Amino acid sequence: MVSTFGRPGGTDIDRRRFLRRTTGLSAAALAGSLDLVSLAAHASVVSDYRALVCVFLFGGVDGNNVLVPLDAGGYGQYAAVRGASSGVGLTQAELLPITPANVGVPFGLHPSLPELQALFSAGRLALLANVGMLTQPTTKADYAAGNRPDNLYSHSDQQAQWQSAIAEGVSRSGWGGRLADAMAPRAGQTFPIVTSAAGVTLFVTGTGSGPLAIPTSGSFGLAGFGSGAASKARRAALATLLGLDRDNALVAAAADITRQADALSATVNPILASTSPTLAGAFGGLTSSIAKELLAVAKLIEAQAATGAKRQVFFVSLGGFDTHNNELATHRTLFGQLSPALKAFHDATAALGMADKVTTFTLSDFGRTFQPAAGGGSDHAWGSHHLVMGGAVNGGKLYGRYPQLVPGGPDDAEKEGRWIPTTSVEQYGATLARWFGASAEDLLTVFPNLARFSPGDLGFLG
Amino acid sequence: MIAPLHKRRTAFAIATAIATALGAACAPGDALALERHSGVATHDRVATPVSRTPRTAEGIEADAVRLLEQSTWGPSAALVAHVRSIGTAAFLDEQFAMPQTRYTAFAPWPATRPDTCIDDRSLPVTPTSYCARDNYTLFPLQREFFRNAVMAPDQLRQRVAFALSQILVTSGTEINQAYAMQRYQQILADLAFDNFRNVLTRVTLSPVMGNYLDMANNVKPNARTGVQPNENYARELLQLFSIGTVELAPDGTPLADGAGKPVATYDQDEIEGFAHVFTGWTYPTAPGAAPRTINPRYFDGAMEERPVDHDPAAKTLLDGRVAPAGLSMGADLANAIDSVFMHPNVGPFLAKRLIQKLVTGNPSPAYVRRVATVFNDNGAGVRGDLKAVVRTLLQDPEARGAVKADPGYGRLREPVQFVIAAARALDAASDGVFLRAQTGAMGQPLFVAPSVFNYYPPDYVVPGTHILGPEFALQNTTTALARINYVNTLAFGAAIGPDPTVYGATGTQVDWSPLAALAGDPNALVAKLDTLLLHGTLSAAAQQAIVAAVSAVSANDAPARAKTAFYLVVSSPQYQVER
Repeated sequence: MVSTFGRPGGTDIDRRRFLRRTTGLSAAALAGSLDLVSLAAHASVVSDYRALVCVFLFGGVDGNNVLVPLDAGGYGQYAAVRGASSGVGLTQAELLPITPANVGVPFGLHPSLPELQALFSAGRLALLANVGMLTQPTTKADYAAGNRPDNLYSHSDQQAQWQSAIAEGVSRSGWGGRLADAMAPRAGQTFPIVTSAAGVTLFVTGTGSGPLAIPTSGSFGLAGFGSGAASKARRAALATLLGLDRDNALVAAAADITRQADALSATVNPILASTSPTLAGAFGGLTSSIAKELLAVAKLIEAQAATGAKRQVFFVSLGGFDTHNNELATHRTLFGQLSPALKAFHDATAALGMADKVTTFTLSDFGRTFQPAAGGGSDHAWGSHHLVMGGAVNGGKLYGRYPQLVPGGPDDAEKEGRWIPTTSVEQYGATLARWFGASAEDLLTVFPNLARFSPGDLGFLG
Repeated sequence: MIAPLHKRRTAFAIATAIATALGAACAPGDALALERHSGVATHDRVATPVSRTPRTAEGIEADAVRLLEQSTWGPSAALVAHVRSIGTAAFLDEQFAMPQTRYTAFAPWPATRPDTCIDDRSLPVTPTSYCARDNYTLFPLQREFFRNAVMAPDQLRQRVAFALSQILVTSGTEINQAYAMQRYQQILADLAFDNFRNVLTRVTLSPVMGNYLDMANNVKPNARTGVQPNENYARELLQLFSIGTVELAPDGTPLADGAGKPVATYDQDEIEGFAHVFTGWTYPTAPGAAPRTINPRYFDGAMEERPVDHDPAAKTLLDGRVAPAGLSMGADLANAIDSVFMHPNVGPFLAKRLIQKLVTGNPSPAYVRRVATVFNDNGAGVRGDLKAVVRTLLQDPEARGAVKADPGYGRLREPVQFVIAAARALDAASDGVFLRAQTGAMGQPLFVAPSVFNYYPPDYVVPGTHILGPEFALQNTTTALARINYVNTLAFGAAIGPDPTVYGATGTQVDWSPLAALAGDPNALVAKLDTLLLHGTLSAAAQQAIVAAVSAVSANDAPARAKTAFYLVVSSPQYQVER
């Protein structure tokens, strides 16, 4: 169970401010408690269903080996540094060829991603080049002058930044949580908008109700209670204890999470406990942790009528990408798990007739140095390539600008091939959030720095 | 190279922070009197707060319970009585002097599991039946940890070693061999009351750490292939094991430059400098094997020098220190460790984390400074004395006392601690097998942190508050239920017998009789649990609720009444928080 975390101090999102913007109510009307449910009467509730699924690849994926140019010049640059003796090179023959419809250059996907190659060719997968955290659009000179996100090559800081879309200072909320907060009045549902199958991270943390964290196996509920009088009395006593000592913030926080879990278990446990033939068909035989997490997510999507959810943000993860050494073997293993799991998930949504209502996307701490490090690995870097999958995706295309694979070249922040991103996480997230139903005003609170970047919508959805 | 933006502390920044912290007792220029080498702040006139030693019998008992929660894996009635009779200082003396219960030194096995090493499930089980589980997972080490935690008397050493294992992290996600992880955890247990510089040195030269963070077989730059030295260990040594990413005042608060931004402790130059120091070390040579320049993985002993792979060039270290070219590997390493160990951040960095793991997630800056001061100088001119640090930390007025009124004080009991404490409260005897299997569902599989950043970070804020609560990063709807369901199993589940797949297993036995003896008087039963587990802080309303549930159980079933009371107290949110 992995987690990243909020930090003390920093920029809190002001609920009053954003609610005033989205609902048009005066400050006086908002004085007193912020009751999102009653405010829903002033916002129209959505009638359709949309789900975003965040797949966080922990450790910093080496995008240089996910998406490789296959034109002569591009592969020549790649092979000049990542040739046979580098310990991290992929041969032209083993790369899986794809032809993005919008660029005139062939590329290759990592050999262990054949399912993604098929999805790309079918137009259900889009690739985003060189995405990363930025304080503003940044050149090499800007970077040298110090214009860069805080603590660029630190796992914890970069995980927090990708999950919060805040490059400077700290944030105690993630953009998934803030998006859920913004959509809550229009979702008009009692079921939590955010569900994680990979523990609670900053991404899913907002200021509204807490995220639902679900297990991928086992039951979800309090065990050991029967129908006898003593059992009921014990149950009642536990409920009482969970409501006492609210003046102690730590006790209250522990209690709130427990009460939320108990309250949701009657709905959630039956959903997780069984697997429909549809989902069993899509996921059959897959045993990896990422497959199990995506299966749990699929179950909740499938049970949308039972949960009453209209908008859902899901979080799953796969770790192990901090490939300081042994990268080739590690990627074979991890991509060998990720690729079929993503395909199974997409197939499941298609079988449910909901493929165009579910959009799945990857995030990661950072990319890795183009120049290899001792041991057949690579070190921490910056911009990297990501993917978006779903029925609503304008797939089969490469969005953004692929870097020049030249160490110390125009796209390199330093000298080992740490690419300065040309697309920001804000632009990436805002494109997803818009599809999810966020208004222009919502986007100002979900992505506070979005206005620094253009375009605000990358065009890979809708 | 690139001009660093916020690198290194400035005299002004130091002066500002320290003047503020000490109430302007020093003029700004005095800041430079901060002696880097001894680490003693010559103007540190921090007053020790008035001692709040409790005077009433209940108060003394409550403080004894709290001390045991902080310095052991959980109080038992007998231990509480013992601490009450000899007092805090004498108890700590006992713990420091306690002979160590060491792990079994598991025999080395090849890094790649041989095909013959499998799990043979046929009966009867023998010591070697489960070769794969017992040598290529952490199972035997994990169950020893839990067995020792329940029953071995060197409790404080175990707590400190576990705290260190969450700061200087290696993980079963990569170190899957029991003997390897045992060798590493043994270092931390052996040095828990030793000097932190020795901890840094032995961890740096541990082949287990060398495997985990890629220092083993790291080699100097190769101009032909362009391969650079691996930066992984350099980066995490600085960020996680010693100084962190920003300059700190002696009280642990970040320093700020003239523009109010934090000051970075290091930049890419320093990372590369340390990365180049950490070249040329290879795995120990296995007995009977011929030493190679690049040895294969072997985890018994310390890493070995291979000067041919060591970068002899000058290297940039911390705060402008430059390691000259041409040093021997040993000197180069010692130089680098010194650069780290002598950095002023280490005292407050380590002090705050140890306080967070043993006492409270939210120490006051003054508390951090008092403990950091002892790290800097134990009173006999020695920097890095962990025994002195731990003693100071536990005897500090902010740790001691019968009851803490500050609503932000305390910490969520982490899963390993929660599971063990519940068993110890019932005077358990355990072979550790059942207990080791409980914490994974609560988010804390033992010695298998998801990354070198541990199971949770030190700066996690409790949702909806401004309070630091690192362990709350593990509290979610799934793990919260898992905690309570563990209590249900312990209380109402079938007896935990010996696991038939574990040779010599004895199971886990708990003793309900002391609690069952009070079943006829539910108030007294609940009061006893309140005293032992909550040091008397259970509110009247909470007591009433539990008493009502106990009374609903037939008076003829004393164990059931005892179990009901225990279940409710230990499952309560009040008990989840240690304060």
